[in-house]
Amino acid sequence: MTETATARPVPELTSGWRLAVRSFAQNRLAVLGVGIIVALVLFCFAGPHLYVTEQITVDPVSSLLPPDAAHPLGTDAQGFDVLGRIMRGGQASLQIGLFAALIATAIGTLYGTVAGLAGGVVDGVMMRVVDTLLSIPFLFIVLIAATRFSSTVLSLSLILGAFSWLAPARLVRAEVLSLRSRGFVAAATVMGATKLRIITRHLIPNALGVVIVNITFQVADAIIAVSLLGFLGFGLNYPDVEWGTQLSEGVSYLFEGAWWLIYPVGGCLVLVVMAFNFVGDALRDSIDVRLRRR
Amino acid sequence: MTRYVLRRLATSAVVVLGVSLITFMMLHGLSGSPGRAILGVEASAEAVAAFDREHGYDRSLVVQYVMYLGDLLQGDLGYSYRLNQSVNDLLAENAGRTAMLAGAALVLAIGIAVPLGVFQAVKRNSVGDNLLTALTFVAYSMPVFLLAMLLIQVFALGLGILPAQASQSSSNFVIFTEPRAMLLPVLTLTGVTVAMYSRYQRSAALDQLAQDYIRVARAKGLSTRMVLTRHLLRNACLPLVTLIGMSIPLLLAGNLVVESVFNYPGLGLLFFNSLNNQDYPVLLGYTLVASIMTVLGNLLADLVVAVSDPRTQNA
Amino acid sequence: MMAGDGEVLAVEGLSAGIRLRTSAVDAVNGVDLLLRKGETLGLVGESGSGKSMTGLSIMGLLPSGGHVAAGSIKLEGRELVGLPERQYRRIRGNEIAMIFQDPMTSLNPTKTIGEQVAEPIRLHLGASAGQARERALEMLALVGIARPAERLGSYPHELSGGLRQRVMIAMALSCEPKVLIADEPTTALDVTVQAQVLRLLHDLKDRLGMAMLLITHDMGVIARWADRVSVMYAGGIVESAPTRELFTGMRHPYTQALLACTPRLTQPRENTLYSIAGAPPDLLDPPAGCRFAARCAHATERCESEAPPLAATRPGHTLACWHPVDGPLDPATTPAQAPVPDTEQAGPVLDVDDLVKEYGGGRFALRGLKRSVKAVSGVSFAVEPGRTFGLVGESGCGKSTLAKMIVALEPPSSGSVTALGGKLNELRGRALRRHRRNLQMMFQDPLDALDPRMRIGAILREPFEAQGIGTAAEQLAAIRELLDEVGLPHSVLERYPHEFSGGQRQRIALARALALNPRVIVADEPVSALDVSVRSQVLNLMKRLQAKHGLTYVVISHDLTVVRYMADAVGVMYLGKLVEVGSSDDIYLRPAHPYTAGLLAAIPEPDPDAGDRIEIGSEMPSPYEPPSGCRFRTRCPRAQARCAEEEPQPRDFDPGHSAACHFPLREPQVTVRTG
Repeated sequence: MTETATARPVPELTSGWRLAVRSFAQNRLAVLGVGIIVALVLFCFAGPHLYVTEQITVDPVSSLLPPDAAHPLGTDAQGFDVLGRIMRGGQASLQIGLFAALIATAIGTLYGTVAGLAGGVVDGVMMRVVDTLLSIPFLFIVLIAATRFSSTVLSLSLILGAFSWLAPARLVRAEVLSLRSRGFVAAATVMGATKLRIITRHLIPNALGVVIVNITFQVADAIIAVSLLGFLGFGLNYPDVEWGTQLSEGVSYLFEGAWWLIYPVGGCLVLVVMAFNFVGDALRDSIDVRLRRR
Repeated sequence: MTRYVLRRLATSAVVVLGVSLITFMMLHGLSGSPGRAILGVEASAEAVAAFDREHGYDRSLVVQYVMYLGDLLQGDLGYSYRLNQSVNDLLAENAGRTAMLAGAALVLAIGIAVPLGVFQAVKRNSVGDNLLTALTFVAYSMPVFLLAMLLIQVFALGLGILPAQASQSSSNFVIFTEPRAMLLPVLTLTGVTVAMYSRYQRSAALDQLAQDYIRVARAKGLSTRMVLTRHLLRNACLPLVTLIGMSIPLLLAGNLVVESVFNYPGLGLLFFNSLNNQDYPVLLGYTLVASIMTVLGNLLADLVVAVSDPRTQNA
Repeated sequence: MMAGDGEVLAVEGLSAGIRLRTSAVDAVNGVDLLLRKGETLGLVGESGSGKSMTGLSIMGLLPSGGHVAAGSIKLEGRELVGLPERQYRRIRGNEIAMIFQDPMTSLNPTKTIGEQVAEPIRLHLGASAGQARERALEMLALVGIARPAERLGSYPHELSGGLRQRVMIAMALSCEPKVLIADEPTTALDVTVQAQVLRLLHDLKDRLGMAMLLITHDMGVIARWADRVSVMYAGGIVESAPTRELFTGMRHPYTQALLACTPRLTQPRENTLYSIAGAPPDLLDPPAGCRFAARCAHATERCESEAPPLAATRPGHTLACWHPVDGPLDPATTPAQAPVPDTEQAGPVLDVDDLVKEYGGGRFALRGLKRSVKAVSGVSFAVEPGRTFGLVGESGCGKSTLAKMIVALEPPSSGSVTALGGKLNELRGRALRRHRRNLQMMFQDPLDALDPRMRIGAILREPFEAQGIGTAAEQLAAIRELLDEVGLPHSVLERYPHEFSGGQRQRIALARALALNPRVIVADEPVSALDVSVRSQVLNLMKRLQAKHGLTYVVISHDLTVVRYMADAVGVMYLGKLVEVGSSDDIYLRPAHPYTAGLLAAIPEPDPDAGDRIEIGSEMPSPYEPPSGCRFRTRCPRAQARCAEEEPQPRDFDPGHSAACHFPLREPQVTVRTG
């Protein structure tokens, strides 16, 4: 009868982000994923300070030793301690994965936003460029490019980043297009908001979720890609190493039964990629949940 | 429909043109002067310049691109000075074996992934679904070569029932003549492809299961099996068709790695060897062909979807 | 309980719930229903009342996680609860069939109509492909589909919504079921089509001697088509009675309130609409006693602690209430509204002149589809300050496009909008943005119109910031005032839009629209996403604010009762054209255009004694190929050859009342038309 609607009693303040965090935390795989990532980052970056090994000077005397007390994961053909080598290789793999993902996402986000906002002919041309680049096999072009660069963490990150911004560009463009047609953008226009205001206050905050989710998947993909490069012989040069190169060196000794050169490092690689995929999936779900609730 | 096909053809042509521009630029930027490549490092600078002038390699980039395009239109992909063979011949020599390997893996992957994805969607969150999800997640997170090494370890080194190397025969039909030798390469490539497709198929099937028409089909009294085969399957496969078209670059990349791990003489191994030789005409020739395959694959996928989805036929 | 006499389906004490990951929803709680042969039982309730879940329980098709917790469902004496799936399948689509709400998504998009209609026939009747085809053809003809043989090979997307719902009916009835469950069968359809489909269902029920369970939220549909009614609230039946008895002698306060909030064409505009305060309880944690107690005017302590049982008060009339009422509320008891202030005649505040919007047909032929469509073609009207102009029409008539052009969200292809003396299409940049203050908008879906990532405080602050008005403190004070105006507590400022109910969100949207102190508010379907009881709250609020601030409204709605209540002047749109304009009374009491009359006739009045009226046949043609001459002629009962040749020009019927028709229902005035 009265017009005063009593606000539905909500026991606690639930902010959008907090809701996302809660739903994320409810996903056991996601928590596991974060746990694995944290553990591996600590292992690779803090590990070498606790477990000091020689990783520069070759030691042919103690090459290809099976695991024992002195070398928990044995040694490789150059006599390097494998456990220490995994830490060292992991640093490079993780760094390259993260840098490449950030570069790709930055380029892709910018490109996709511009295309989505511009619309019309500009958008059409920009998207045909993306179509063109997407139809060239990624690994091919990256390998060809890698033949001409000396491989460092920076150059590999740049090469991978430079050719993997296409997927995020498409994604962000689609998101911008769908956001542009949303009611709250129309409402802001009607109240006299400038384009700049709409972009900074509505489009960017709402597209952020998609971008963040994309970064985690990009990291996973970049770690795999750099391992492929390393495996095919275009990884870091001695004395630097990343997991792909390590694995490719190990392959030669697989037939001699030197399993410790393959499985520990392979396991780490799969684990970290899976962890990033878990986190990406969960983030995507939790963002959806937040927007769809009620 | 005709309009749609024409439009798709036009955009595909534009994309292929764009790809040719990129391969040309890379060829030009990476491989330096053809004269140097042919005459070798010993030759004098004058001799190289004379050679380039004679063959038109000193002209403007635009003219050279037009020449390159003209050659492409005549089906000439260039010449490998390292192997002293035309790129066309090199690719043609190896294409059959790669097509067999990748084709077998693709067919197997589709055959496995479609029922697997639908099964997982129907039995969502069951033990079976969770197990399969975990399995595909691991496979999806694994670089191809690691899967290859695992399979070699188990089947070649451990059980000793399969060879660790692919057949070295130059026949195109080794899959049929020496199936044992080809089993591991095919399985490896199938494995990574299934991991990608089945995750996608599961979510596509889940999307369709939530649609009203599925509930209507059940309300008609259809059994679960009939609902799936008569109503869900076709609609749930349409997105996969598009994905298959788009996944050709990934399939070719996987093929490249598998061929180099198993030492299978195909386009992938040719590419891998050319990388080490810095044989850019071959590398970029294959890249161009692979890109055109991708464009055609996307085109074909879109046409298949258009034909099997009546909603697009009026467009 | 009465036994025998054609009893087909008996539901007793049915309880069903849905288990979620961490909680359980108590969706249906102790429902009793009785369906007799040849009879329609109406099941009425608001969204979330459990009426659809009841229907799905009977079909044995509860969504995943759903289960029947208790009770029995008997089909001609056979117990269905706990029946093995294999046997249940033989009943579904054969003895009990169901029609769902949205015909657009209920058909498989990649199978032909023929295949889909034939499917249950082959399955249950064991017919051959040829026989099933014959039968499907028969069924399509039976549901009134023209040229059924051609339609057999059509795909769903080639059919309009009304035709698709007819196909759904053909499919459901193909095995001549004993029971038909129709779950909101016409909610997704336009009002003229709704009337056709309901009549068809009614006729077929009689012809096939079925029992029908008609699930709906619309009291008007119930009044016209149900023989008996059960009213559901928060998962339980609160009252069941024969239709006339329920409408004239209801006993439950909820039934009484629900009927009172349903707007009628005869609703006096001066009175506020009746509304029920608050919102239904959360079924994750239902209250212990009567579930309506928190919103009930008659509630006592007993109601809050002890749930009233469903018991017969008279034969055929059952009730679950400790303090029954007697009959409907007297409409005259509601207080009168302050009259709209008569502002000095300063000319129209909003002037829409010959507005046209054409889509497609651009210069870039690469885009495919080159057919152009005139969504709005030549619409003109003017609104006086402090008045409400109502715009009605079926979906796709161009009314939303018109709304967007009025607030300059879309540029018109030609014509102009003049608001407060400023021509919108001549204003650019800063001047346009400043001018927008005067012209605000309310959107249909308030959840979409509120940025999900902003707190309510930021949402309400945005208009001030966008226009650079006031300091932070002044803005906050203004925001608090706005919340008071729309009846929301200040504590909402820290919350996010998803935490509110639909009605609360629309209040927030209204507060935001008011922030800039506009002169004109364009409201596009402001209440169509809301339940009846909440709808009247929002409409009352809009009216009160209009009186207080001297607002001018343009209210756009497909719902003629909403416009009747809100508007002083009304325009009727059909296929992009304004076919009739006049005062509210002109349009509703003295319509001149046959389309207006047909629209009015199609509205189901919540009154079982309202007689039958003429209905418009078929559906609106595609806007891509509008008919020549008069666009309405293809559906008009009065159409003649001239209508196809010559487009009718607007003629005056009363002062300010004009209609574009060659053969109007009334004689036009002979006076020369003046501006």
